[in-house]
Amino acid sequence: MNLLEMSVTVYASLTRHLVRSLLATLGIVLGIAAVVAMLAIGEGGRQEALRQIESQGIDNIILRSVKPAEGNAQQTTRSYTQRYGITQRDVEHIESVFENVRLIVPVMEVRREIYLGQTSTDIKAVATTPAFLEVSRCRLVDSRSRFLVPTDGKILDPVCVVGTKAARRLFGHRDPLGQAVVIGNVSFRVVGLMENPGGGRIGGQFELNNLVCMPLETATSLWGGITIQMRRGMAEKVDYDFLYLAAKNIDAIPGTAGRLRTYLRGAHAQVDYEVQVPYELLQSARRTQRIFTVVMTSIAAISLLVGGIGIMNIMLANIFERTREIGVRRALGARKRDILWQFLAESVLLTSIGGGLGAGLGIATAAAAEMISRLGGEAGLKAVVTSESLIVALAVSVITGISFGTHPAWKAAQLDPLTALRHE
Amino acid sequence: MTQPSPHAPPPTAPLIELTGLEKTYEAGGTLIYALRATDLIVRHGAFLTVMGPSGSGKSTLLNLFGLLMRPTAGTYLLEGRAVSGLNDDATSAVRCKMIGMVFQSFNLLSHLTILENVCVPMQYAGLPRAAMRQRGKALLDRFGLDGRYGSRPTQLSGGQCQRVAIARALANDPPVILADEPTGNLDEQTGLEVMGIFQELHRSGKTIIMVTHNPAYRKYATQAVSIHDGRACET
Repeated sequence: MNLLEMSVTVYASLTRHLVRSLLATLGIVLGIAAVVAMLAIGEGGRQEALRQIESQGIDNIILRSVKPAEGNAQQTTRSYTQRYGITQRDVEHIESVFENVRLIVPVMEVRREIYLGQTSTDIKAVATTPAFLEVSRCRLVDSRSRFLVPTDGKILDPVCVVGTKAARRLFGHRDPLGQAVVIGNVSFRVVGLMENPGGGRIGGQFELNNLVCMPLETATSLWGGITIQMRRGMAEKVDYDFLYLAAKNIDAIPGTAGRLRTYLRGAHAQVDYEVQVPYELLQSARRTQRIFTVVMTSIAAISLLVGGIGIMNIMLANIFERTREIGVRRALGARKRDILWQFLAESVLLTSIGGGLGAGLGIATAAAAEMISRLGGEAGLKAVVTSESLIVALAVSVITGISFGTHPAWKAAQLDPLTALRHE
Repeated sequence: MTQPSPHAPPPTAPLIELTGLEKTYEAGGTLIYALRATDLIVRHGAFLTVMGPSGSGKSTLLNLFGLLMRPTAGTYLLEGRAVSGLNDDATSAVRCKMIGMVFQSFNLLSHLTILENVCVPMQYAGLPRAAMRQRGKALLDRFGLDGRYGSRPTQLSGGQCQRVAIARALANDPPVILADEPTGNLDEQTGLEVMGIFQELHRSGKTIIMVTHNPAYRKYATQAVSIHDGRACET
């Protein structure tokens, strides 16, 4: 029997009991749907995590100042100013000792309000150096834009560069370049518009696109280093809130990060810093992804096992019911392998249809999950259906059909023609 | 040996030769003879009826002719070729191209149209689809079922179903047609119509081997075998 005739025969057999055939595939449909949906949501999460990690710069090490717990706070005897975090001494040490560090970019949060009319905003202002643009993976948006240059710091120019989101909030549709931004009580002229395409944050904290950057020297000259006044006369002093260290190459990152941690442990009496290594986070994300893949594969295997057993049951019942048909076909000239292929093809077609329906249902479920998660407003789940996951789902359906259809088909082929013909 | 009927074609070369063909079963330690050693020659163009009481071994003989069971002993030559010891593929090929079978209960596949039913043996013979459908339609036309190609067996009368079954048996133009009580499920009039078809086939040169209970059908035969307790003898 040729392939076309086989297909026609199999189609006729399956459509004979359409509802039963579809019910038989239900296990496969749900199994594949669950796998496709979860893979899509997992892939979306993975891509989002990788995007966020990569937006921090894969060759960067980021130090962040962290306020230690109250009990551990070191207080100077003469003042109520609490000092913590990354210091100028740390910067100098790293500059002199860490030969694999190409760039050191300090970032200081300017703890001054930025006003939109009479209302204060949550837009953050930071003071930094010209190399910040490179290490933060930002880019200039307008051809007339420029970032901070060394001269700005030297002449203590009150200029700033604003992120795209901050610019929209501050100026609406007006051209932000040349406009003034009032930070604290000082007016800064906007000389540039910048954007981080990945929507990243500095050290996972401040959204780069919702930021105003000014020269470090200008901020220091204006406010003499940033001291935060707290309640009851207490104050806090932080030299740098963040320190970007750009490595000469990616291979140097693990070693540099290790040495840096060792140095910080020795130099700081308390853990008032955090070391963020996007490269390590990326490795960790990949490990998590591998674990996720193993878990998903296990779930898929279990659901397909259940679905496959369902298919086998239906096929065995089918063969019992169609024993006489098998006898007739054998009497009319069918070989054992014709019968074997016919029933195997039925099983594979059933599971393939199940796989196709399951893939469709999985895509719809993932899309629905994404839509529902975004009903609240901000970014929710992200589902990404990859062609690989669909190919794997369909391949697994076919393999399930072959695996669980072989035994019933073999059983059908082994039936004695005469016994089969006499079957009532 | 056989007395040829006045209308029979002249005897020609042997189509089937059975020598010492025997079928036994073992049940509870006892050897049961379904068919005792049988010698028989059926020539091309013969119309052989096999008669005998129920359980006598008629169907066993027909199943042996149809290669649906293997003999315990003896040889079965079909067109001079020993066919009883062939492997499954070769046996199936012989069943497909050399033998057409007609059953008492028609054995049509109810989920297929009657045209598709007729095409089943041609599928296994590897005919192209177009040629298969053309031949299937011609066979149905020949038996008065033109215009009913898309009907299901459940939509036909018993006589029509048996005509479809005969068309199916002729699908690969085999030299021999085996019929197991083909009128057993039909009323007398319809049975006679079906016998008329077999007579027509016989006249066209087909060799017919028919198991029947009805002694009235002896008149169609050129050769007759009677079986009692597994012993076959020509009458």
